[in-house]
Amino acid sequence: MFLIKKSDVGKIAEELARDHQVYGPMIEKGSGQTFFDRADDVSEISLSAPIPSNPPKSVVFPQMERVLAYEYDRPKNSVKIEPDYKVEPKALVGLRPCDLAGMLCLDRFFMGQEFVDEVYLAHRKKMFIVTNTCVAPFKQCFCVCTDSGPAASEGYDLNLTDLGDEFLVETGSEKGAVFAAGLGLAAADDSHLARKKKIVDKSISLFEDIAVDSKAWISRVMNRVTTGFVKEEVWEYIGDQCFECGACSFVCPSCSCFNIADVTNPECEGCADRLRSWDSCSYEGYSRMAGGHNPRKPVEDRRNKRFFCKLSYSQMKKYLRPGCVGCGRCAWVCPGDIGLPNVVTYVRREITR
Amino acid sequence: MNQKPGVCTFCGTGCGHFIGVENNRIARVYPSQNHPVSKGRLCVRGWNIHELLDTPDRIKKPLIRSDGPFVEASCDEAVGRLIDSLKKYPPESIGFLASPRSSNEEQYLLMKLARSVFGTNNICLDSESGHRASLNVLHAGTGMAGMLGSIEEIRGAEFILVVGIDITRQNPIIGSEIHMAARAGAMVVTMDSRRTQIARLSKKFLQVRPGANKLAVLALAKTIYEENLHDPSFLEAHTEGFEGFRRAFGKLSENELYEKTGLKADEIKTVARHLARAKSAMVFFSSGISGLDEDTIGYIYNLFLLAGKIGKEGCGVNPIAGLNNLQGGYDMGLAPDLLTGFQPLADAATAKKFEKEWGTALPSSPGKPIYRSLADQASELKALVVVDHDEGIVRYADAIKKLDFVAYIGAFKNPFAEYAHVVLPIATYVQEDATFTNAERRIQLSTKKIEPEDGLLPGWKLYSMIAAKAGRAWKYAKVSEVMDEIARLTPAYAGVTHAKLAGGFGLQWPVDDKNPGGTRRFDLAKAGRKLAFYGVSDVFEAPSADDRFPFLLMVGKAQHFWHQNNLMKKTHIPMREYNATLMDYPEGYVEICPQSAKEIGVRDRWPVRVVSPHGEMRVSARVSDDVSPNTAYAPYFVQEMISRFLLGHTEVLRQGEDATIPVRIEKV
Repeated sequence: MFLIKKSDVGKIAEELARDHQVYGPMIEKGSGQTFFDRADDVSEISLSAPIPSNPPKSVVFPQMERVLAYEYDRPKNSVKIEPDYKVEPKALVGLRPCDLAGMLCLDRFFMGQEFVDEVYLAHRKKMFIVTNTCVAPFKQCFCVCTDSGPAASEGYDLNLTDLGDEFLVETGSEKGAVFAAGLGLAAADDSHLARKKKIVDKSISLFEDIAVDSKAWISRVMNRVTTGFVKEEVWEYIGDQCFECGACSFVCPSCSCFNIADVTNPECEGCADRLRSWDSCSYEGYSRMAGGHNPRKPVEDRRNKRFFCKLSYSQMKKYLRPGCVGCGRCAWVCPGDIGLPNVVTYVRREITR
Repeated sequence: MNQKPGVCTFCGTGCGHFIGVENNRIARVYPSQNHPVSKGRLCVRGWNIHELLDTPDRIKKPLIRSDGPFVEASCDEAVGRLIDSLKKYPPESIGFLASPRSSNEEQYLLMKLARSVFGTNNICLDSESGHRASLNVLHAGTGMAGMLGSIEEIRGAEFILVVGIDITRQNPIIGSEIHMAARAGAMVVTMDSRRTQIARLSKKFLQVRPGANKLAVLALAKTIYEENLHDPSFLEAHTEGFEGFRRAFGKLSENELYEKTGLKADEIKTVARHLARAKSAMVFFSSGISGLDEDTIGYIYNLFLLAGKIGKEGCGVNPIAGLNNLQGGYDMGLAPDLLTGFQPLADAATAKKFEKEWGTALPSSPGKPIYRSLADQASELKALVVVDHDEGIVRYADAIKKLDFVAYIGAFKNPFAEYAHVVLPIATYVQEDATFTNAERRIQLSTKKIEPEDGLLPGWKLYSMIAAKAGRAWKYAKVSEVMDEIARLTPAYAGVTHAKLAGGFGLQWPVDDKNPGGTRRFDLAKAGRKLAFYGVSDVFEAPSADDRFPFLLMVGKAQHFWHQNNLMKKTHIPMREYNATLMDYPEGYVEICPQSAKEIGVRDRWPVRVVSPHGEMRVSARVSDDVSPNTAYAPYFVQEMISRFLLGHTEVLRQGEDATIPVRIEKV
């Protein structure tokens, strides 16, 4: 544990920028919208910026990515396949705890099962993560219901907590410890840790007054969603309001579904780029099989699937935590007003009855 | 940071987004949270616009052909061929088919090119006249040729009527605003023959018999009038021409109205009372590829005027443009009889203003809409210039093949280019600064995000080059100077400059000295005139079924436009989604209810024959609760249906969204 002065905290990003591509939360000047994006100038990164509008998962799992290029030589009957993704070391500075929890879900999906996703692994393995404790929630937050905040508990290299005049720097990995030691910082002690605890407790108590947009009593509905005892009418009520835009999946820090398209190049015969892009279970074509059968044709069945992913115990066993990380972005972007917190309310309403 | 603000250019909603760029290529898109229209939302199309903007399916080189296949040419050579070919014909034989997707600046310059360089008024947009019908009604009634209300005020409306538009599919973010209003307590009523998503989300669904929207609107107006729910002092002080409208009320008895619309007395009366008593009310209807017919729009407008729901906060008669710059297209004078800002070409003072600015005489011979010329065997049209045609199905393909000369100008590969003799590429809208005007008259600047590929010119530069080579030098150093010229000539755009639009979320016209920050909605207090009831007909030819042809077949167009959209085919995910229906029903489908299916003896996806007095087609049955017994619905995106079955029904098709054909459906 170390301490770093507020005026010096930018040095972490500067130091990381020596051998990493640095990403962090930045405010777009014209609109005031926060983005988690690549910083061309690390001084743009703001640790006090609101939660980024976009999920940081785009760093490891971009919205659209060329994963390989191939060239088929017909006369020679040979094919050349080249991986085509970027693998430079990346540092994420100022990641919010909920977004880190989302990335841990992605890790378990892409790397924690039988097959390891090479592209994801390449993005992820040379990564340095600096999280930022939320000393106060934002309007749409409900991480306290999903066990993913307001402070990160695992998965970071460094964790920063704003103690007022200085930041507490906790190390969460060997790599983090080596890096922090190299910064020549003052050591912190248990009194600082106690201050952090106080700040986190205060942050939790602030949810009642600040985080008023969304409440999601996840534990209450998890049993119902897992066992499938949610009435069909409830899913129909939710499905009727789904605009099938895909936004909930795109903004979700833990949604991992993707589409693959081979795009042929009209200027080079036999050449194609393989694109991987975000996909969504809200789309009818997503679950449609060759031959036309669709196990989840009605929209309510597709919604049901999404919330099974986020709220069921079976899925939790894969992620080792709930699939929902409580960031509240799906409620922001949903044209049908059926972000996860509202869905939890509708399921709970049925239980209460 | 690598996030560049812009405007989505699929539909007429005009949502705000951010585009991410990697290596001069469009890599991603994200919604703009603080945008007043979209408030952080996008639809399936908007969320995947980066797939379109990154497509390799672009036109990148000028192409010319004489008799054989296309050969690549220099831009100089292709433009030279274009000019030489057009100059061979008298102006009456030349036509320009403009695009409702092009930016205001490109549309304006194409209009200027047609009129001031090639001397023809044969110019129109490449969609049918649905939106024109709306603008005619609203302009005649109020003087404002655009949406009277505002998307931002939807959530404040107490009553919302949605007529014949599948709005959550066609303009999803406007549909979302209506849904949010309903959730906040607004009385949302949908009037349609088919149960759409917005019908399911409405508090009340008036499932009218096909072809009877006008009658249902009449029934609402009649109730308001006969129950004295209107405000006579408002009619007296602010309106004129009510007598003409009132005459229609006596044409049909109440019972006839209920019978022809298929609605019940209490349904009509409840909705009419809600409308009349609400403090604020809005109506939305389709105005896209093919909207409602002008008479039905006239009835809708008159209903809202009678109810006193025009010109106040949360009120408005709101035609919904299906394409991103359809409103801008009319604002830029892309019609044979219009100059910019709905100023009539026939008006001598206006014509003089343009002649002075352009330094040339305007052509005096009246122009003709291109589609009418193509449908007319005796047309004089010989040469046609087409810009960024949208539909995958090229209608009038035979008529186009017969033309002597066709030029295609566009950014993306397009089946239309097959008919061309000269193809000229232009840059896409992210490769130049451009303004677009959405359905609520919001003029938004979308800034340049990437450099055009080598040698590609943005539209405004290409049109300037054509003009220069044809002997008329236009002196625009930058695209913003085109907008300056538009502002000089167009009262509603008088205060618009690119500098003023930069960094913001756009301004709603009129933007002028009196309204420097734009005009959110039509304001009765500032109108300075009486609002006129629109002159509507009192002829009601609701189609009826009989024993031989017991089904009323609705032909849906606008909501399925995206299925065969040329741009959609250049994406991956939206193409998959829009094609899902086509994959399930590759020959197209006719939608019938379970009861009808049982009677005919078919199940979902079984083949059926649809027989009308004019022809027949074989399609699959799609069994759905969304239609009522004895009505059927066929979407307008199946090649065979458009090219064969509907050919005999041109009169019917002119009715737009209300098009209805009595048919018989047989098991094959």
